[in-house]
Amino acid sequence: MSDPLSDPDDDWWESPVNRRETIWLGLAGAWSVGIFAWMAGFTQFGDQNPIGTTYDVDPDQYQERVAEYKEAAEEVDDGLVPPGDDVYIGAMRFNWDGLPVVLEAGTEYDIHLGAYDVQHGFSVRPEENLNKQINLQVFPGSEWVIPMTFDEPGTYHVVCNEFCGQGHRTMHGRFTVVEG
Amino acid sequence: MSAIASLFGNDYDADGFRTCSVTGLDVHRSVENHVKLYGLTAVIALAFGGIFAFTVAMTRWEFIGLLDPSQFYTHLSAHAWNLLIFWMVFMEIAILYVGGPMVLGKRLPIRRVATAGWVVMAIGAIGVNASIWLTETPNEAPLLTAYVPLPVSPWFYGAAIVFLLGATIAALPFFVTIWNATRGKRRTLPLVAFGAFITSIIAVEAILGGIAAFAYAFAWRVDLIASVDPGIYRQLYWIVGHGTQQINLLAMITVWYFLTHVVGGAVVVSEKVSRTAFVMYLFFINLGAAHHLLVDPGVSAGWRIWNTSYAFYGAAFASMIHAFAIPAGIEAGRRRRGQGSGLFGWLTSAPWRNPVFASTVFSIILFGFLGGITGVVMGQIQVNMTWHNTFAAVGHFHATVVLGTTLAFMGLVFFVIKTMFRRDLISNTLALLVPYGYAGAMSIVTLMMMYAGILYGVPRRTAEVVRNIPGSEFSFSAAVPIFMVFGVFALLAILGGALFIVVSVASLLFGDRIEDGDDAGLLPEGGLHADGGESIHAIELRGTFTLCLVFLATFIAIYVLNWYLVTQLWGIGA
Repeated sequence: MSDPLSDPDDDWWESPVNRRETIWLGLAGAWSVGIFAWMAGFTQFGDQNPIGTTYDVDPDQYQERVAEYKEAAEEVDDGLVPPGDDVYIGAMRFNWDGLPVVLEAGTEYDIHLGAYDVQHGFSVRPEENLNKQINLQVFPGSEWVIPMTFDEPGTYHVVCNEFCGQGHRTMHGRFTVVEG
Repeated sequence: MSAIASLFGNDYDADGFRTCSVTGLDVHRSVENHVKLYGLTAVIALAFGGIFAFTVAMTRWEFIGLLDPSQFYTHLSAHAWNLLIFWMVFMEIAILYVGGPMVLGKRLPIRRVATAGWVVMAIGAIGVNASIWLTETPNEAPLLTAYVPLPVSPWFYGAAIVFLLGATIAALPFFVTIWNATRGKRRTLPLVAFGAFITSIIAVEAILGGIAAFAYAFAWRVDLIASVDPGIYRQLYWIVGHGTQQINLLAMITVWYFLTHVVGGAVVVSEKVSRTAFVMYLFFINLGAAHHLLVDPGVSAGWRIWNTSYAFYGAAFASMIHAFAIPAGIEAGRRRRGQGSGLFGWLTSAPWRNPVFASTVFSIILFGFLGGITGVVMGQIQVNMTWHNTFAAVGHFHATVVLGTTLAFMGLVFFVIKTMFRRDLISNTLALLVPYGYAGAMSIVTLMMMYAGILYGVPRRTAEVVRNIPGSEFSFSAAVPIFMVFGVFALLAILGGALFIVVSVASLLFGDRIEDGDDAGLLPEGGLHADGGESIHAIELRGTFTLCLVFLATFIAIYVLNWYLVTQLWGIGA
C-alpha cells in the first residue's frame, strides 16, 4: 500500500508499473523526442528561424554606422531606399533610427539590429494581417544580422515590445515593401 | 493581539507534539507555528499584490485606462514582485516545513534560524516594495526583470539580494531535517518529503543565480564596475527569474500529491515512476530557463535549442509523467474503495463540494491544459518568435502561476486553516466560489491574453497601444473586442481573489473552533487509509488514460496551430 506521506515498501523499485502508465510513458516520451526533432530539423529545412550572426559593437560605433548607412541611402517619400542589401536599424528611446525604409518584395535583405541605449524589442507585422508578427530582442553592444525576405508588398509596422522607459508605448516605426 | 496569539495555540502534549486528526501525522508546535507564520505572511503578500492586479488589469483594459505610464510601471512592478515572488516564496518555505519535519514527525531543528529567515525575508520584501515606490527619475520602475542597462535604483537590487539571502536562511532547517532523517541509514523518504527535497535543491540553484545577477547589476549601479553586459545579465537573471517558477512548479506538484491523497484518497500508483520524474526535473529543468533567450542575439542556435528544449524535453516529459500519475492515484485509490464505476465514476463521485479538493483538481487540469501546453509550444525556438514579449506570454504564465500554483496554494491555505489553525470555514459555499468562480474567470482571462498576443500581436508591458499608439496612426484596435472580454472577466477574477482573502481572514477570526479528533469534513469516504482491495498495478486506469489521451490530442492541436502561424510568416533567418 503506497501513500505519499509514508516511507514506501522496501521493494518499491521492483513493484510492477501499471500497464496503461507504461503505455503513457511511451506516448509522452515519443512526443517529447518528436517535437525536439521537428524544432531541430526546422532550422535546416524551414524558412522561419530567429538565427543570424552577432557582432560585438560599441553602441556609439553602431550609431555611427547607422548614420553612414543613412547618408548612403536614397531618400524617397516613403523613407530610405537602402544602397544595397543591408538594412540598418538602431533602436533608441523612443525611436527606431533608420526607419522608415522602402524594401522590395522577394529580395533577401540582411537586417542589422542594434540599440544605442537600453534593451528594446523589435516587433514587426504587416498592417493588414496582425497575426503575422515576429519579435526579436535588441541589445546595446550587439549587432545582430538576420536575413529576411518579404514576399508580400504592403506597410509593415514596428513597435517596441521590451520595456525601455516611460515613453515605451510611443516607440513606433514602419517600413514599406513594394513589388520587386 | 490576543486574537493573533490565539491563532498560534493548539493543545500539544508534554513534548510539544499533537497527532493530526486528518493526516495522522505527529505535528510539533515548532513546525506548526512556523508554517502558520510563513503562510500568513504569504497571504498578506497575496492581498497586497492583488490590489495591483486590479490597477494593472484596468489599465490594460484601455476602455477604462486607469493609470498613466508614470504610475503603470510602478504598479506593474509591485504586482509582479508581491505575487510572483513574495506570495509564492513565503508559501514555499511553509511547504518545505510541511514536507520535511511535519511529514517526518520531527521538531523544527534550529528553530531560531527559521525565525531569523522570516525576519530577513520580510525586510527584503519590504525593501523591494519601498524601492519600487520611491523610484525617482532618471531611474525607471524595475518590473520583474530589472534588465540592465535600463537605470533601476540600486536599492532595488540590494533589497532583492536581502530577500534571496533570507529565503536561503529559511530553508536551512529543512535541509537539517533531511540530513538528520537520512544520515547513516538507507532510507527512502516519503514521496512528499522527496518532492520537497528536490524542490529545495532547485531553489538553491535559483537563489545562487539570482544573487549573482542582482549583485552584478548592483555593482554596476554603485560604480564598482564601469560597464554591464545585457546578455550576461539576462543569462544570470533568468536562472532566478525562471528558477523561481520551477520552484513554484515542483512545490505545486508536491502539494498535488499531498492534497489529492489526504482529501481525495489518492494512492501512489508507482513510486518508481513518480520519483524518476522528480529526478528528471533535477537534471533538466533549470536548463529550460534559457527559453527566455530564444530570440536574443549572441547565443548560438545549438545552445538555444539544447537548453530550451530542457535537453530533449526531459523536463516536459517529467511533467507529462506527473500528469498521468496524479489523476491515476485518485482513480486507483477510489476504485479500490469501490467508489465509482464505469469510465469516470471515480471522478464524478469525488468530493467536489470540498473546496480543498476542487481547488487542487482544477489546478491540475488548468495548469496542464492552459499553462503546460503553451509553455512547451512557445519554448520552441521558431514559435517563440511569435510569442516573445507579447501579451500571449503573459497569458501563459498567468495560466501556470495563477491557475496552477496560486489555485493549488489557495486550496492548501483552506486546508491549513482547518487542520492547523483548527477553524472551520465561515462558509463552505463562499469558499467553493474560489475554485469554481475565481478559476473559471481567470481561465477566460488567460485565454484572452493569449489570443490578444498571438492573433493580434499585442505587446506586453505597456500602458496603452490597443486603442491608440501616441504619435502614430497605427494601433491594435482590431483586438478591442478581445480586451472587452478580458476586462470583464479580469474584474470577476479579482473579485474572486478578494473573496479568497475575505473567507480566509474571516474564518481565522470568526470561524468555529474545530475540536480535536474532528476531521473537519476533509477526509475522503472510508478514511485516509482504506485497507484491502486489489493491488494497484492491476487496477484498470481507464479513466486517467482517456483523460491523458484527450490532453495529448489538445497538445498536438495547439502545437500544429502555432506552427501553422509560423510557416505563414515571411522568410527569416539564416
